[in-house]
Amino acid sequence: MSAQTPHRNDPLEALTMGTGLRLEDLVDREALQEVCKSFFGLFGIPVRIFNEDGQLLGDAVQEQALCQYLQTLRDGRAACGATVTAVKSASPGSSGDATHPCFTGSLYRIVALDYDGRRLGRVIIGPFLPVEVKEVPRSLLRIDAGVEPEKARELMPKMPRARTETVGRIAKHMQAVLDLILFSGHRALLTSQMHLASVRESYRELQEQNQKLTESYEKLKELDRLKSNFLATVSHELRTPLTSILGYSEMLQEGIGGPLTAEQQDFVTTIRDKGEQLLALIRSLLDQSKIESGTMSLKMADVAIGTVVSDVLSTLLPAAKRKGVALTAEIAPRIPSFRGDPERLRQVFLNLAENALKFTPGGGRVTLVAATDTADAGGTSDPDDDIGYVLFASKPTGVLVRVEDTGIGIPHTERSKIFDAFYQVDGSSTREHGGTGLGLSIVKRLVEMHGGTIAVDANTATVPPAGRVGGDVAPPSGRGRGSVFTVRFPLPKR
Amino acid sequence: MQLDFVARELTIKLVYYGPALSGKTTNLQSLHRLTTDASRGRLMTLETRDDRTLFFDLLPLAFKADGDLSLRIKLFTVPGQVIHASTRRLVLQGADGVAFIGDSQLTETDNNRASFLDLRQNLKDNGLDLRKMPLVIQFNKRDLPNIRGDEEIAQLAEHGREPVYKAVATRGDGVLETFLGLVTLTWARLDAEHDFSNKFRVKSENFVASLAKQLGVTTDPQGLIAAAVGRDPRTRREAT
Repeated sequence: MSAQTPHRNDPLEALTMGTGLRLEDLVDREALQEVCKSFFGLFGIPVRIFNEDGQLLGDAVQEQALCQYLQTLRDGRAACGATVTAVKSASPGSSGDATHPCFTGSLYRIVALDYDGRRLGRVIIGPFLPVEVKEVPRSLLRIDAGVEPEKARELMPKMPRARTETVGRIAKHMQAVLDLILFSGHRALLTSQMHLASVRESYRELQEQNQKLTESYEKLKELDRLKSNFLATVSHELRTPLTSILGYSEMLQEGIGGPLTAEQQDFVTTIRDKGEQLLALIRSLLDQSKIESGTMSLKMADVAIGTVVSDVLSTLLPAAKRKGVALTAEIAPRIPSFRGDPERLRQVFLNLAENALKFTPGGGRVTLVAATDTADAGGTSDPDDDIGYVLFASKPTGVLVRVEDTGIGIPHTERSKIFDAFYQVDGSSTREHGGTGLGLSIVKRLVEMHGGTIAVDANTATVPPAGRVGGDVAPPSGRGRGSVFTVRFPLPKR
Repeated sequence: MQLDFVARELTIKLVYYGPALSGKTTNLQSLHRLTTDASRGRLMTLETRDDRTLFFDLLPLAFKADGDLSLRIKLFTVPGQVIHASTRRLVLQGADGVAFIGDSQLTETDNNRASFLDLRQNLKDNGLDLRKMPLVIQFNKRDLPNIRGDEEIAQLAEHGREPVYKAVATRGDGVLETFLGLVTLTWARLDAEHDFSNKFRVKSENFVASLAKQLGVTTDPQGLIAAAVGRDPRTRREAT
């Protein structure tokens, strides 16, 4: 039983259940025309194909000389018209086969085009003269007072002659051929409708799945927002008491609460140092939540990147010296300045350089490079960038800063994840090297707020760090040769 | 089901469902072979290059029931392969009865089960209720080794609600039985719902016999229908 469902396919159902089929839907009109032409070529008898509404779909007709003659006579013309109208509207009946006579003695054969038990149209074959008609029939001579018997006798034999049974067999053959054409047409129509319906059905399924995905995505986004809020609140609440702790330690240190012994001084210094560390951590958590909530703002000014980089260098030089890492900067001359927040950019490169120092063992090298970027405008690391390079390389398109180290490196598979918040390459390195996993995430967001990009690659230019055994081969993961972080800022297009 | 009241013509749709390669198309081919031209049309197959059913097969049948009714039956198969899920759902739209063609081989047990669950889901998606759907089950390929035994089938069929037929569709065994069993159930369901026998003066008890005769079936149709193990399709199903 049919129950209405929302995605019901009605045209398909009509097609498969065989309702509403039309002759012209199942077969190409030109194909019908072809069939008629070849039929006429073979038998010389005119043929016409009509659909069930009486619309002509194909024919091959040559007007008979006798008919042309009769057309010149008044009553003849009227009788001719009446016959043609009668033939056109004649039904082949339930047997599907009928014969209609003409006053000229010729006959029309009318056969039904049935498909799947339904009548879709009919074929009209004729006029043809049955072989047994030898004389000009009286009906022809009487039709019009002007009919000249001589003329009629001369023209009648020019009509195509055939045995009635032969025409019957021909008609049967025609029916069979058309039935096959209709069957093929029906199958093709069903196939294409089925294709369409299947595509529509798959589309509907995909939409449903998309809807579900969207819903869960929205839910996740909401959770993420809650997490950020929580982070911001907690960080803020942590900072307030910490400020007091730091303040009081400072007062203790300065002897405001009375003189301290050397040992006490030592303890208080540790409390302050660790307190400062904790404060820095909380600040980065706050930065992270500010960036996530979109409330971080930049104080824009003209940035001379060379100044920023040398500032970072001088800040970190003492720490590098202590660790035995060679920290240098290569700043190219005449780097164009660009709009940005110098303090935030300092934070970016300080973080990158600190990281590099942290992960580079003693005897290694960390290099800061600042230069004008003349590669393509996007500053992407697209592998196709070398194509048409000559067209792009001549024009400064941006500013780039590279931080190169000879440290432990980052496995290839991890490179896309290191910019995610809280991500650490592996759990054990958290303990060995410390850190919250927030630094690179903040760096990336800050760079992006400047319209820039950041990418990380293995340091292919490195030689084995001093102090290591020569010929030390990097493991296949790419670890152990160091990393290069490349930050690019686009220059405004002129 | 479609009813043209003016033309007194009833068209019903029966669907052969089942796992891939269980013999759905073979059932229709055998039915085509076993019946005479008079009341059946050409078997239309929409298949892929490797002879697997792509969309469906369609065998149209037409009968003059006694009384005033012309009956047209459209027999469909669905494509069994798992990937054609949406096509199965489309073909199942508006089905009046389902023959589930299962594969008797023991190794196919899981596939039979999965396909039946698929049928249940697709009926539900089309707003059709499996519980009310006229259904027969055919265990096909009885000529192969390593199949579920007759006794076990008989035993299981006793517990089930629907008639179960055994078949070798390639030889034509059990094909008419399955078809006539399904027609019997379907007519009973439609008649109970729409009272066709009264409206069109069709004698239900002669209905299937006259239909079988028009198809050119020479064996006793009641005997064919009674070949079912489990429930006899001619008995009324207990109220649900």
